[in-house]
Amino acid sequence: MSKIISIHSFRGGTGKSNTTANLAVYLAQTGLRVCVVDTDIQSPGIHVMFQLNPKDIGFSLNDFLWGKCEIEQTAREVFTEDSTGKVFLIPSSMRTGDIARVLKFGYDIQLLREGFMNIISTLAIDVLLIDTHPGLNEETLMSIAISNVLLIILRPDSQDYQGTAVTVEVARQIEVPQMYLLMNKVPSLFDRAMTIEKAQAAFNCPVIGLLPHSDEMMTLGSDGIFVRRYPDHPITHEIGMVAQKILK
Amino acid sequence: MRLSKIHMPKGTRALILIIAAALAYGFLNAHSNRLLLPSAPFIALRPQVALSFFLGFVFGPWVGFLTGFLGNMIGDGLSGYGCWNFWNWHIANGLYGLIPGFAHYLGFKEIRTLRKFVIMETIVVATNVVAVGFAVLADLLWLKVMQFPESLNSWILPALTTNIVLSFVLVPLLLVFAKFIVITVETRITLVLSWLMVSIVVISATAVTWTVWEDLTSQTASVQAFYSASIVTVLVVIIGFLISVFLAHRITDPLASLSQAARQIEEGEYRLPVLDTISKRSDEFGQLSTMMQRMASQIEVRETRLKDQVTELKIEIDRTKQEEDVKEIVESDYFKTLRDKARGFRVASRSEEKEETDDVTPENNESSGV
Repeated sequence: MSKIISIHSFRGGTGKSNTTANLAVYLAQTGLRVCVVDTDIQSPGIHVMFQLNPKDIGFSLNDFLWGKCEIEQTAREVFTEDSTGKVFLIPSSMRTGDIARVLKFGYDIQLLREGFMNIISTLAIDVLLIDTHPGLNEETLMSIAISNVLLIILRPDSQDYQGTAVTVEVARQIEVPQMYLLMNKVPSLFDRAMTIEKAQAAFNCPVIGLLPHSDEMMTLGSDGIFVRRYPDHPITHEIGMVAQKILK
Repeated sequence: MRLSKIHMPKGTRALILIIAAALAYGFLNAHSNRLLLPSAPFIALRPQVALSFFLGFVFGPWVGFLTGFLGNMIGDGLSGYGCWNFWNWHIANGLYGLIPGFAHYLGFKEIRTLRKFVIMETIVVATNVVAVGFAVLADLLWLKVMQFPESLNSWILPALTTNIVLSFVLVPLLLVFAKFIVITVETRITLVLSWLMVSIVVISATAVTWTVWEDLTSQTASVQAFYSASIVTVLVVIIGFLISVFLAHRITDPLASLSQAARQIEEGEYRLPVLDTISKRSDEFGQLSTMMQRMASQIEVRETRLKDQVTELKIEIDRTKQEEDVKEIVESDYFKTLRDKARGFRVASRSEEKEETDDVTPENNESSGV
């Protein structure tokens, strides 16, 4: 069955979009059909990871939410591994007018869910990844409510801890079936086992992976997909493990 | 000049290379006769032998063999000896390229280290011995042109020693130009030392020969002695080479240990017994390795201190504030509606997907519910 996975972080700059794009490409490389939805309508960004020019964005998620088009018309193929393994992207509009309009009027959860279900069946999607807006606004809560899995990304940073603790508790109240933490940008000096153990105890939530702070990742930035550029890098293996655990 | 990158010339290119090299070889064979060498006045100085060695090392057995073989044939033809009378020497000249060519074939394709440099020179000396040995044996068995043992002193030894000394000088030079010898600290030092040493021996021997030759030829016994002295020349060259290798080794050996130490530090290994011997040296390497050991132990101290700090890392969460924040969200009407809708969705998808079993069983929501 298809899975809907929300990828969230309480604060910006945790590497959320980067991780989402890498997970998507990794899954596509194993032959799965993946769709990435950018629900970060206020500050869209994941299209950059797939080298998609804002000018080339035709219909966006915004257009669908206002009934201007069908959901299928918003998805474009951004990565092709083979005849089956592909990544589709449903981008958010980059136009400031569009952004302001959504912020002002909001949208309906029912419609969002129908859109997701439609895209899953028309494009035969195995995994739908939702790149959410940081924080806990209404749109983000909606994405979490629709998902089977919530993946929360955090850095080892005191401000992230507090927000993550709130997010975990709220997600639990919304009864999301599976929830995991992914620690990103962890300094190499941190002891892996101990860090995982402490985080699990503090948040009462399983830690699915621990991505080290990496110079290669930093250098690459939003300029390409890490797992593709460095297929044998430890980070790529870690992302692979996260992908496997998430789909289990 | 990236000859070493050309793996193995194929087809027409190989053919053109062989023909050009053989012509050059033959031309030099016919015209280098006037260059006479130390203690071997009947044997021409034949710089072209280095060409076979060189092409064998760089391009493999076929190019090496054919260059020597055809080159000698052309040279004999041009000199009026007849193209096929001394076929054994054609083969001997071919062997100069064939044997280094086999080394190439077996994976000897680059010289970066002292060890490989010594292997190369050993191949050069051994090839000389084998090739001349073959020519002599063939003569003994079939051609019977030479007169033994007279020819040993007047012909065979001089040919052998001339070729060994020359190839010692010229082959490394050509290999450097072709980048087959990669310039590293090891190869650079070996090249400088061995080349200096060999050229001094060759130049002084040549100078002596040319000065006294007119007087010597009148005394047969002295000529004989002079021929035998050529062996000394070769021995001096070989011993000198080994000494320069030893000296180069003394200089470069610490470098290997230092880079091994650096690699250990990279891997987080800060005890560096590999530097113990070098640290005792009084030269710059000794100072450098002492400094490196000291640096490593400093890093170790600092890292241990950092690790201790990590152990104290705490994830501190203000539980009161957390509770307030959560409460604010979950008690809003929006949230309650959303939760009800989410429940509805899950029931709907559960009935849609009959085949699904336990894998959707909530894993983390034991504590769920308000």
